[in-house]
Amino acid sequence: MAVVDTGYTSRRHLWRRVRIVAGVVLCALFLFPVFWMVLSSFKMPKDIFTTPPVLFFEPTLETYRSYMSRADITRRMLNTVIVAFGSGALSIVAGTMAGYALARVRLRGAGTIGVLILMSRGVPPIALAVPMFLVARKLGLTDKHITLILAYCTFLIPYVMWLMRAFFQSLPRELEEAAMLDGCGRFGAFFKIIVPISIPGILSTLIFSVILAWEELLFALVLTNRNASTIPVAIAGIAGDTVNGANWGALTAVGTLTVVPVVIFALAVQKWLITGLSEGATKG
Amino acid sequence: MSQVEIRNLRKAYDDLEVLHGIDVDIPDGAFVALVGPSGCGKSTLLRMIAGLEEVTSGKISIGDRVVNDIAPKDRDIAMVFQNYALYPHMTVRKNMGFALKQRGLPKAEIDRRVSEAAGILGLSALLERKPRALSGGQRQRVAMGRAIVRNPTVFLFDEPLSNLDAKLRVQMRSELKELHQRLSTTTIYVTHDQIEAMTLSDQVVVMNGGHIEQVGAPLELYDNPQTLFVAAFIGSPQMNFFEGEVTPEGRLKLAEGLELDPGRPLAGPGQQVTMGVRPEHLELAESGWPAEAVVIEPTGSETQITARLAGHTVRILLRGRTDIQPHDQIHLRANPALIHVFATETGRRI
Repeated sequence: MAVVDTGYTSRRHLWRRVRIVAGVVLCALFLFPVFWMVLSSFKMPKDIFTTPPVLFFEPTLETYRSYMSRADITRRMLNTVIVAFGSGALSIVAGTMAGYALARVRLRGAGTIGVLILMSRGVPPIALAVPMFLVARKLGLTDKHITLILAYCTFLIPYVMWLMRAFFQSLPRELEEAAMLDGCGRFGAFFKIIVPISIPGILSTLIFSVILAWEELLFALVLTNRNASTIPVAIAGIAGDTVNGANWGALTAVGTLTVVPVVIFALAVQKWLITGLSEGATKG
Repeated sequence: MSQVEIRNLRKAYDDLEVLHGIDVDIPDGAFVALVGPSGCGKSTLLRMIAGLEEVTSGKISIGDRVVNDIAPKDRDIAMVFQNYALYPHMTVRKNMGFALKQRGLPKAEIDRRVSEAAGILGLSALLERKPRALSGGQRQRVAMGRAIVRNPTVFLFDEPLSNLDAKLRVQMRSELKELHQRLSTTTIYVTHDQIEAMTLSDQVVVMNGGHIEQVGAPLELYDNPQTLFVAAFIGSPQMNFFEGEVTPEGRLKLAEGLELDPGRPLAGPGQQVTMGVRPEHLELAESGWPAEAVVIEPTGSETQITARLAGHTVRILLRGRTDIQPHDQIHLRANPALIHVFATETGRRI
């Protein structure tokens, strides 16, 4: 029997191709600046702004070498790791539990509390930075990791809470009820059943939280000085160097160093992000 | 095993009362079905027995213990949910053993009980699988297995078969009945399917709008429905209803030319009544009420005829087969001994 092309299938194929091309173009558009940054970080400073730009050149680690030794990059990188993962972990623990409470526990005014917490995200960070600095100074906590971690929690916890609340709402309530009939209390049901099946949601939220903390500049600029200073502060310092002018080579090298750990982290937890773990919990 | 006693139980969400004073006694070892249309409160009642919903007022006792304020985990009950609620990250073995592990039983004892329950339910070969690798029927069995390994005092089932296809549903229904006969554990079973309720249970509780309409053995409900609601709800195909009034001579006048001697004294003349007659109690006759056959549906063992009778659509169920064709004129007769008469206003049986 001959296959009749209905026009519908060919339109569908065409549409599929258009979408693939559009996806590739969009990805290229977003990734090009990153590509350019990484490429430039391996160029000699004089090659960065040549016209026309060169794609093929002799790569050098000169920029990395010269800048790394000067600007305390290693310590700042370590600070950024401590602060980003510290605040990420703390906000995941607090935000996940708060999100669960908002999603499941019948609390009078829970909705209002949730909206109020979300509204705190609407306050411009600059309005909080100065009061935070004053409080930190009063407590003798300036330029300390914990200060930055707590400051980041102020915007990360609401973020985690809202994402996880939506995630928990999508889980069948019967899972916890079954656990509660099987001998768990509310906490047991949460930790033994809900948390294990929410790992994909928790990890993807953790990645976003770590990235948000990783790239944060304002609080880091205001609340740290030397000891707890992070990479974004270093980048801002290089870009805003009014004495020597922006050192583009250093900027691209540090920029590349900033991106790499986050990408490695995201790739490392990628296999956990595959959703569908809860498939089979309820009707098929 | 334990009896369950429910006294004047009410449930309200803020100002909205959804259960209005429920009283039920569920004897030790009985299989009781709570049946009714969606929103009648049957699932809420079950969840209150489980401890998943708080009691607004009234009393629930399991055995000789009032359980109103006892946490679900301490009520010694097991529940099978409509969507099974299997733990997706655990194997069948761990799903079934979870409650026992929570209780701190030794591993050997857990393994023994899980294997035993798996044997009863035909799950022995599937113990190492995760729920997502199981079919709907197998998941259903695991959910039941998770309940029976615990050897609880009461089983609660919340529409456990409604996600299965028709064939599997019938199969699981008999398995459930067999399981109950074997274990004799007090069982409360919620369903909106009256056939399930009738075939499975010793006692049926018909609920409507947060009230109990009638409690009784399945055939008692079928033969003697106390309200119009029960008469309409129980039985498939549904009972035929005719509205009419009682004549001064004590006959039932259902329409012009449609009268019947009920054979027993009814309420006073002029009273508005609704007569119900089951499809299998309408007989074909040489003479009687004239009707026109509209649709003939043979199923092999019996034939259902839909006919038009004095403006009403009626269903007649005949044993065996018939050569009646659509649009044929037929005559119908109702045996007065098998009719049900209800006061139209109150819906209560007269």
